[in-house]
Amino acid sequence: MEYIILILAGILFATAIYNILQKQLLRIIIGTVLLSHGAHLVILTMGKLKRGQPPILDDSVITYTDPLPQALILTSIVISFGITSLLLVLAYRTAKENNTDNMEEMRGEANE
Amino acid sequence: MIFAVLIPLICALFVPLLSRFKQKVHTGIFVVFIPLGIFLYFLRFIGNDFSPVLQTYSWIPSLHINFDFYLDGLSLLFVLLISGIGTLVVFYSIFYLHISEKLGHFYVYLLMFMSAMLGVVLSDNVFVLYTFWELTSISSFLLIGYWHHRERSRYGAQKSMLITVFGGLSMLGGLVFLSVITGTTSIRSMIDQVDIIMSNEYLPLILVFILIGAFTKSAQFPFHIWLPDAMEAPTPVSAYLHSATMVKAGIYLVARFSPIFALYEWFFIIVSLIGITTLVWASFMAVRQTDLKGILAFSTVSQLGMIMAMLGFGTEAAVFAAVFHILNHATFKGSLFMIAGIIDHETGTRDIRKLGGLLTFMPMSATLALFGTFSMAGVPLPFLNGFYSKELFFKSTTLLNENSNSFAVFLSDAIPYLAVFGSIFTFVYSMYLFFGVFTGPKKLDLLPKKPHEAPIGMLLSPIVLVLGVIIIGLFPNLVNGSLLTHAANAINQAAGYESVSYWHGFEAPFIMSLVVVGLGIILFLTMKRWTRIYNVIPGKLSFNKVYNRLISSIDVISNRITNSYMTGSLKLYMSIILAVIIVFSFVIMFTTGGFNNISFNDLAEISVVDVSVVLIMVLAAICTIFVNNKLALIIITGIVGFGISILFVIFRAPDLALTQLVVETVSMALFLLAYYHLPELQRRNETIGDTLTNLFLALGTGTLITMVGIAAHSSDWFNTISDYFVETSYKLGGGSNIVNVILVDMRGLDTLFEIAVLGIAALAIYGLIKVRNKKEAE
Amino acid sequence: MSNLAILPIIIPMLAGIIVAFTNKNVALTRVLTQVFAVISLLVAAFVTYTVFTDGSIILETGDWKAPYGIILVADELSILLILTTNIIAAATAFYAPHSLTLKQETHYYYTFFFLLITGVSGAFLTGDLFNLFVFFEVLLMASYALIVLGGEKIQLRESIKYVLINLFSSMLFVTAVALLYGVLGTINMAQIAQRVAEVEQRGILTTIGILLFFVFGTKAALFPLYYWLPRPYIVPNPVVSALFGALLTKVGIYSILRVFTLIFVHKIEITHEAFIWIAGLSMIFGVIGALSTNNIKLIIAYNIIPAIGFIIMGIGIFNQEALSGSIYYLVHDMIIKCALFLLVGVIAYVAGTSDLRKMHGLIHHYPVLGWLLFISAFILAGIPPFSGFIGKLALLRGALSSEEIAITIIALLSSLLILYSVMKIFIRGFWGEKDETIEYKEKASLGLVLPIVFLLGFSVFLGIGAEFVYPAVDGIAEYLLDPQIYIDSVLKE
Repeated sequence: MEYIILILAGILFATAIYNILQKQLLRIIIGTVLLSHGAHLVILTMGKLKRGQPPILDDSVITYTDPLPQALILTSIVISFGITSLLLVLAYRTAKENNTDNMEEMRGEANE
Repeated sequence: MIFAVLIPLICALFVPLLSRFKQKVHTGIFVVFIPLGIFLYFLRFIGNDFSPVLQTYSWIPSLHINFDFYLDGLSLLFVLLISGIGTLVVFYSIFYLHISEKLGHFYVYLLMFMSAMLGVVLSDNVFVLYTFWELTSISSFLLIGYWHHRERSRYGAQKSMLITVFGGLSMLGGLVFLSVITGTTSIRSMIDQVDIIMSNEYLPLILVFILIGAFTKSAQFPFHIWLPDAMEAPTPVSAYLHSATMVKAGIYLVARFSPIFALYEWFFIIVSLIGITTLVWASFMAVRQTDLKGILAFSTVSQLGMIMAMLGFGTEAAVFAAVFHILNHATFKGSLFMIAGIIDHETGTRDIRKLGGLLTFMPMSATLALFGTFSMAGVPLPFLNGFYSKELFFKSTTLLNENSNSFAVFLSDAIPYLAVFGSIFTFVYSMYLFFGVFTGPKKLDLLPKKPHEAPIGMLLSPIVLVLGVIIIGLFPNLVNGSLLTHAANAINQAAGYESVSYWHGFEAPFIMSLVVVGLGIILFLTMKRWTRIYNVIPGKLSFNKVYNRLISSIDVISNRITNSYMTGSLKLYMSIILAVIIVFSFVIMFTTGGFNNISFNDLAEISVVDVSVVLIMVLAAICTIFVNNKLALIIITGIVGFGISILFVIFRAPDLALTQLVVETVSMALFLLAYYHLPELQRRNETIGDTLTNLFLALGTGTLITMVGIAAHSSDWFNTISDYFVETSYKLGGGSNIVNVILVDMRGLDTLFEIAVLGIAALAIYGLIKVRNKKEAE
Repeated sequence: MSNLAILPIIIPMLAGIIVAFTNKNVALTRVLTQVFAVISLLVAAFVTYTVFTDGSIILETGDWKAPYGIILVADELSILLILTTNIIAAATAFYAPHSLTLKQETHYYYTFFFLLITGVSGAFLTGDLFNLFVFFEVLLMASYALIVLGGEKIQLRESIKYVLINLFSSMLFVTAVALLYGVLGTINMAQIAQRVAEVEQRGILTTIGILLFFVFGTKAALFPLYYWLPRPYIVPNPVVSALFGALLTKVGIYSILRVFTLIFVHKIEITHEAFIWIAGLSMIFGVIGALSTNNIKLIIAYNIIPAIGFIIMGIGIFNQEALSGSIYYLVHDMIIKCALFLLVGVIAYVAGTSDLRKMHGLIHHYPVLGWLLFISAFILAGIPPFSGFIGKLALLRGALSSEEIAITIIALLSSLLILYSVMKIFIRGFWGEKDETIEYKEKASLGLVLPIVFLLGFSVFLGIGAEFVYPAVDGIAEYLLDPQIYIDSVLKE
């Protein structure tokens, strides 16, 4: 199962990169969202999957799933969310100011 | 001695203050006492029984950088030149520079230079030497650029800085190398370890490093090109820095390091070859110049080449001759520069084509120039010091060491002829300089000013120098035992007392001198007929052109290179970064065997539900690439996000699933808001090449992550620290939801700053939106 | 006592929160900012003193013992960099009010500024790899906020590229941390080091190490990952550029320094050998970039890259002298880069343009600026007796004692070209005929010049007074070469 999830993560990375390499802002941002999904899956897998119960203490349970990756993912999700929100507003403002959402049209001059 | 070195620098701090009173008292009057004092201080060391003095002051002992001032014969000679000529030059400048000039700046730079130059010749510590060395370059740069409103000054200043700093850095490389090999930063200790240095495999490199430093500073071929352009500096500066002292720093360096390289045949080959080439080339080029200072500049270059060549020979006779000529050159060339300055000052031009017949207007200057030029030409008269050193030079060319290397043998044979060849041209330009300016038809209508003799104050300094020419000429052994022998001794220990006399007998040197004078007179008289040769040699080929081409191509080429990849295209930046990461990581992974031990044990079981969720997500993820409708794109992305929450549920991470669900929902809302404002998606119209590159980068990254992930999962060497969290979550953390306890307690710091991140994001978004509102309101 | 270690993080954070509330009252905010910046500097100085006299301070946050909780490690390296950071922060705090527009100030510049310092200090202090990621995010988020401050068209355009590239590297960072956790079961740096040493950096570990290197290398702007850097760095206000130039890339290089002296040191023939090549290429392409432009701000921005090259060169060579050279150069470069960005900011302001071709003869109007630039050029190029020389000298000695000839020659040549690239501004912009026709702005105010003088004073001190600093730096290099000291001090076993 772990390897399947890792392959999924790899696919998410690949599609993310493909989108990031596009020109339109919305696609690029979608790419970053996929990227963070992929990263989170990698974290989760690194704690091994399905090895016990959810990490909530209970006297009847002997083994728990590794709680540390979960904590890390939580932190990461929140941070990614913050960045994505900023990025969206930024993208919208950039597109408005520059009258385009095409990154290739936002290269700028060499010597400004 | 540290005071002698630092006093000019310290005094420089007060010069701006003094220059406020320049309307009443010329700032130079204060300044002249500084070099005079130093000169008198060091004068007392002269004597037959002189023995070296060492004084140490610590500076950065942990890097072995200390002020170790070591005064031996060589240093003494230079120190006296620096302070002596310095006094005369400052005195001369009082009359040369009008009080309306920026005197404060001038004297600050000059004093800075004086300190630096004294430091160079007195430092035994290589890094202190380097420090002062660069300071001479900097002050020279500032002095050349003194009249920086002139384009030529800026050009000359930049050129001199680039070439001398280039040399300085190269020298630094050599010095660092030497200090690493020998484990010391003291030149004297390095000389003691000459065996270790000689046996080092990098010896050629060290030699080249150090010689480039010396050659650039002393304007040796082909680095000589900066010196003629340095003539844009005020004439006192040319006389001082660019003739008598700074340009001899390279000579000093070679002399100083001679004991280290003396046994190395390539040292002889390179130094004497470059020296003799410089002598020949520069004296040949000097004849072509039309600017008085231009002639003197090339003449300086060629004389420096001659001294360099003698140091390259390294024999006792050659070394003594070199030292002797350092002194003589300073006297006659210094006086000639000052005369050139006087002519410029009194006639308003330095163009020799406009000058002529000045003898009647400026008899004093003419007399002084006569002695200077004839001494420089090596005219065999018993009261001209230039003749003696030229004679010694010829003698040394005939007495070269035996060599084993066949090229060295060839060189030894060729050198006497080249020496004569160069000296003939020296003779020609010397004569041209004197007769062209002071005799011949008067061309008063061409002169910007009506010429008249300079004030006596201005003449005083050249008079002193010409007296030096004559006195050394009459008594060539005057300072021989008390100064020159000590100096020669410091370069070559075998060098002893040499008696210099006017008549040696009818030997090779005398014949060479006769040839020089004879052919020189013929060439001088027929000058007009053969100067056309300069259209062929060097013609359009000159090192100046190479330099100019280099400098302008630096701008152009760097611009072209940079603009070729700095296109401002995010896609390009990302592509390069990704390509590098992919290639490097795979190479490292396979060379270090990272993917070798993959185990398929210890994996969780696979269920149908899991696989179907995964498949849906894969499908959705791939769809994001192909969808051309923005609403659809956002929804499909949402599917991936919600798929992740389902996976979190499957993998027993309830908190994560909840958070992901909430975040995904809010994100969706945000996306839809932004959706409203962003333009509709277009078809991806990429070229096949683009698609393939993107595909390669995307698949490369994906594969890399998967492979590294699998390898990491297979490397099961250690227990995780998480067990501790399970144990202590309730006991110490007081909570039964372990993830929560980790977040708020064990890794509370993470959470605190995660909130900080959100806070900043909120403020930033607020700012962005508010700016917009204001703009739209306008 | 060990709580001292968190002060450099907490003080700027609290300051940032407080000034967010006084935002409406700009005068008060400015005063508060300056007061807090000075307090923070004094505290940093005190902590530095404590560390250098009593040894590293290890703080186990929340009293969770290592390696389980988050550990803050104030060792000599991190505290030295924190002190430098605070010097820079103080200088910019006094410069900012004269340079920023009122709009930028009221859009929470000071809050972002303090949080940036928080993030930087945290990144220097933390002993936990995931926590390092979090602090990276703090400083990056603050930098995103700072770079868009003002919301000009070019600014937005360049910021979005900046954000995207950093976002990518952040995600790669978190992935690499996860992978490392997968192999080693820990994210505490000391324990990671211990465990990597135990298995002799076997298998996939070197690859993960190289991934981390690319993450940090992207932030540090190494060849060939620096493309994103120059232009976004020149679009915001000079004070923001100065903070970026002095701090952001340096956090990246610090992380490389830490990770590749503490953790991944068992395959140096692969990893560190590659660094030397990367260093050389960074120098070459950096100076080529600096020479390619007539935009004075861009000249300085490009000069970040060769400087990073110098630092990475020492890490690659990996002997004590080279490492102390790297550290010395790092401190030197933080200060001089900040000073230079502030300086060209003033120059561009008084000249009304940052295009060198449109400037000449400025020295007649602004002699002080001219001479400050002149000195800065020499400091930057590593001409003695200034600070750059000391670091460079140690680097060269390190390089030559490892017989790394090629990189030595590249380093020497790039020093020359660095000098040329900045001196060009002096020769073309400051020298020349006085131009009476151009209407110049009011004299550069004292408030803009004093912070620069303050910073250059430090640079000069680091050069002439090297004896007061170098032995400490040399000690740090020795300490870095023996990772066991760090491991033992954290794990206390």
